[in-house]
Amino acid sequence: MKRDQEQYLGVECAWPESNTALRSKGVERLRPILVALLVATGGWQVARGAWIQAKAWIAQALVAQAWQRTLAGETHARPWPWADTWPVARLTVPSLGVERYVLEGADGAAMAFGLGHLSGSALPGTPGNSVISGHRDTHFAFLRELALGATIIVQTPDGARRAYAVRRLRVLDRSDGWVAAQEGPSRLTLVTCFPFEALRAGGAERYVVWAYAIDEHKDRGGERADRTSHLL
Amino acid sequence: MNKPERRTLAGRIALDLIASVALAAALGVVTAIALAGLTLLFASEARAAEAPGEGTLLLRPRAGGDALDAPLQSTAVAFQVSGVVVRARVVQTFRNPGEGWYEGVYVFPLPQNSAVDRLRLRVGERTLEGEIQERAAAQKTYAAARAQGSRAALLDQERPNMFTTSVANIGSHETIVVELEYIETLRYRDGRFSLRFPMVVGPRYVPHGVTDAARITPVVLRPQEGRMPVNPVSIRVELDAGVPLAEVSSPYHQVDIKTVGEGKREITLAEGSTAANRDFVLRWAPRPEAAPRLAWFTQTQGGRDYALLMLMPPAEAHEAPLPREVIFVLDTSGSMAGASIRQAREALALALERLTPQDRFNVIEFNSTARALFPEARAATPAQVQRAIGWVRGLAARGGTEMASALKLALNGGDAGAGVRQVVFLTDGAVGNEEELFRLIQARLGGSRLFTVGIGSAPNSHFMRKAAELGRGTFTYVGRVDEVGARMSELFAKLEAPVLKGITLQWPEAAHAEAWPARVPDLYAGEPLVVSASLERLEGELRVSGVRAGRVWEARVPLAAGAQGSGIDSLWARAKVASLMDSLREGAAPEAVREQVIALARAHRLVTRYTSFVAVDRTPARPADAPLAHADLPTNLPEGWQHDKVFGELPQTATDSRFALLSGMLLLLLASLWVGRRRRSA
Repeated sequence: MKRDQEQYLGVECAWPESNTALRSKGVERLRPILVALLVATGGWQVARGAWIQAKAWIAQALVAQAWQRTLAGETHARPWPWADTWPVARLTVPSLGVERYVLEGADGAAMAFGLGHLSGSALPGTPGNSVISGHRDTHFAFLRELALGATIIVQTPDGARRAYAVRRLRVLDRSDGWVAAQEGPSRLTLVTCFPFEALRAGGAERYVVWAYAIDEHKDRGGERADRTSHLL
Repeated sequence: MNKPERRTLAGRIALDLIASVALAAALGVVTAIALAGLTLLFASEARAAEAPGEGTLLLRPRAGGDALDAPLQSTAVAFQVSGVVVRARVVQTFRNPGEGWYEGVYVFPLPQNSAVDRLRLRVGERTLEGEIQERAAAQKTYAAARAQGSRAALLDQERPNMFTTSVANIGSHETIVVELEYIETLRYRDGRFSLRFPMVVGPRYVPHGVTDAARITPVVLRPQEGRMPVNPVSIRVELDAGVPLAEVSSPYHQVDIKTVGEGKREITLAEGSTAANRDFVLRWAPRPEAAPRLAWFTQTQGGRDYALLMLMPPAEAHEAPLPREVIFVLDTSGSMAGASIRQAREALALALERLTPQDRFNVIEFNSTARALFPEARAATPAQVQRAIGWVRGLAARGGTEMASALKLALNGGDAGAGVRQVVFLTDGAVGNEEELFRLIQARLGGSRLFTVGIGSAPNSHFMRKAAELGRGTFTYVGRVDEVGARMSELFAKLEAPVLKGITLQWPEAAHAEAWPARVPDLYAGEPLVVSASLERLEGELRVSGVRAGRVWEARVPLAAGAQGSGIDSLWARAKVASLMDSLREGAAPEAVREQVIALARAHRLVTRYTSFVAVDRTPARPADAPLAHADLPTNLPEGWQHDKVFGELPQTATDSRFALLSGMLLLLLASLWVGRRRRSA
C-alpha cells in the first residue's frame, strides 16, 4: 500500500491544482449513496423481472393441480383461493415438447399465470373460433418455433382430446380484432406480441397463429380458410 | 506498479465486480422466487377456507354459434294499453337464408313481471297453439319432435326476465314465426305511466358457482362496420289511457305519435324498426286533474272473480325530513365502462350535493373487490362532501362485479334507530348470481332500505327491481345521461319525504280473498299501491290503511264497482307465482313450491321456471337422413357498452420481464464498477 501511495503522490503532483479535487471529494462523499441507489434500482429491476418469470412458471404447477381437479369433475377449479381465473384447457405441442394450461380470461391477471382464453370466444376444443393469448416472453415464447403443419393437442375439461394443425402464421396489428370473430370452421387463434426479441412491453404488433381442427369441417374448412385469407 | 501487481488488482476488481453483481442479482431472484413460491404455496394450503373470490366477465357461446349462417331473425311487437294494463304480442321471425336444416336458439328479455300466457307457432298457413308442460317434459317433447324432423317451438324461462325460444327444423329458405303474448301491469309513478320493453340481454358477469352460465350467456356480436345490427325490432303501441292525456313521449327512440281520440294514441317507431340494442320506453302523463287516484278492474274466470287494484295515496304537504344515514354504492366493474360510469358518477355527484350537514353518509365502490371512502359513515359537512365528490370523479370502470362484498359492506344488519338508513345502489346489475345476492339482502337488511338505480342502456332490471323489493326500497331506471338529473332528483325527493308505512288491506269476510303481494311494501311519495286478488264474490268494501308521519291514512274501495278487464287472472297468477318463488328464499320447501307453481301455471297457462310452452307441428318436415345444424342467434352488445372494455382488442401479450432483468443487471454492473474504482483508489 505504501508504494501505491507514493506512486499516487507522484501522479498527483503532475495534476494541475484546480477545484477538480474538491469536486471529486464531493462526489466521493455522495458515492455510497449513489452506489446504494444503483444497487437498489438494479436489484429491484432484477427482482421484478425474475418475479414475473417465477410467477409464470410456478403458477403453471398450481394450475396443473387445478386442472387435475377439473378433470375429476370440479368446475371453475381455482388454482389458489383468490385466483380470479381457472383452467379451461390443456394445450400440448408434441413436436416441441411443450405443455401449457389455458386460463379463463385474456386479461393481465390471467396471463401472468398461463395462457389466457379470450372470454366470449369459443372454449378451446369446442366448435367455433377459440382465441388464446399469451406473453411472448413466458408461456407463448414457443410460438416462435411453432412451424406450419405442427400438431396442437387440446384437452378439454371432460378429458377429451382434439387435434389441430397449424395452417397459417401472420403478423398483425393489435387493432385487428376481427381475428376473434366466431364465423368459420373450428380453430384455435393463438395471439402473442411481436417481435419476439423486443425488450419492452406495449408494442402494437401481434403474431397470430391459426390452427384448424383436423377431425371436422374438412369439407368446408378449406373453402373457409381461403375466404379468410382475403382479409389478410 | 509492476505487472503481477497490476494483474492482481485487475483481478480483484473483476472479482469484486462479478461478486457484487452476482450477489445482488441472486438476492433479487431468490427474493422474487421465494415470494412467488410463498404466495402460491400458501394459497394451496388455504384452499379449504375458500372466500368468495374474484372473477372475470364470462361470455360463453353455448356451442360456438356460427353467426353468419344463423337464421335471420326479426321481431315485431304490438302493445295494447288499456288503463293500467298492457297486453303485448311479440312476433319472432326465424328465417333460414341458406340450404340445409337449422335449429335456431334465441335468448331474449321480457319485462320482469310479465305473465307470458300464449305461444303460437306459424308455419306457412298453419298455426299451432303451444301448450304448457312441465319444463323437463316440454323439453322432451321438443327434443323428440326435433329428432323426428318435425317443426317445433319451445319457450323456456331462464330468469323471471329472461327467456329462450328454440325453433327446430327450419328448412332451406323457409320462414317460421313464433308468436308469444304477455300481460303486464304498467308502472305508474309521480303522475306518469311508463311502458318498458327490454330489447337486449346484456352480457352478464357470472361469478364462481353459477350453474346455468351457458344458458344465460348468449353469443354477443362484435360491432362491425358495414354489418347491420341483427334482429331489427319494430314496435307499435295502441294506447288507450282511459283519461285525457297531457303528454306522451319515448325518451330513447324516435317515434311517430298519432292522436286517434281523447286519451287514445297510436305510436310507431319513426324509422320503422330499430336495432335491439337498447330498451324501448314509452311514458305518458294524464292531465293533472284527470290523474287516476284509483283503478279497480275485475274479471270473472272459471267461477272465481279476479281483481286488480291500483290506488294512489293523496300527496302530503311538506314536512321536516328525517335525519338520514345514506350509503352510496357505485358499481365500477368493466361492464360499466363508457357512458354508464359517466352517468353513474354524475348521478352520484348530484346525490352528494343534496346532502345536508345533519345527514351522515359514506361511499362504496366495487368491482373485483369493494372499497369504502370512509371507514364508517360521516356527517355530510361541505368539506367531506367535496372530498367524496372528488373521490367519485376519479373512479374508473374495470374488473369483475363482485356485488356480494359491496352489499356486505353496505348492509350491516343493524337497526336504523330514530332516523332512516338508506343504501343507494348504482349499478347495471350485470350479474348472474342473483339468488345468492337476494339471500344476502334478506339476511343483512335489518333497518336499512335498499334503493337500486339502474344505469346504462340494458340494466338487469329483474335483479334491481327484486333487490329493491327485498330491500324494501325502490328501483329507479336511468337510461340516458341527460336524464340523470331529473330521475335522481325524483328519487331523492322521495327519499327525503315521509313514507306511508304499515299498509294493511282488510277484505270483507265473505269475499274469501287471496291477495298478492302478501306483504305490502312501504310507499314513497308518488307511488301507487298495486295488488292482485282472487275473490269468491264481489261484495262489500275493501279497507286500505297505513300510517304516514304518525297519522293514519285510510281509503275504501267498493268491490262491486270495478271496470271489466281482461287477463286479470293471469296477472293474479303471475303475482302469486312471484310470491311463491320469493318464499323459496325464506326457506319454503322447494318441492311444495314447485307443485303449487306448476298447478297455477297449468290452470292459467303461464310460463314459469318450472313450466314451458311447447308447440309441435306433427307433419314431419325434415327427411330422417338430412342433418340438422344448430345456430345460437347472436345478440347485440347494448348501446353504450364498449366492446373493447368487455372483450378487448387483441390483448397485451408481453411483459417487461426481459427489460427489467437486463436493465437491472446493467445497473448492478455499473454499481460494482464504481465500487471497484473506490476500492482501487482507497
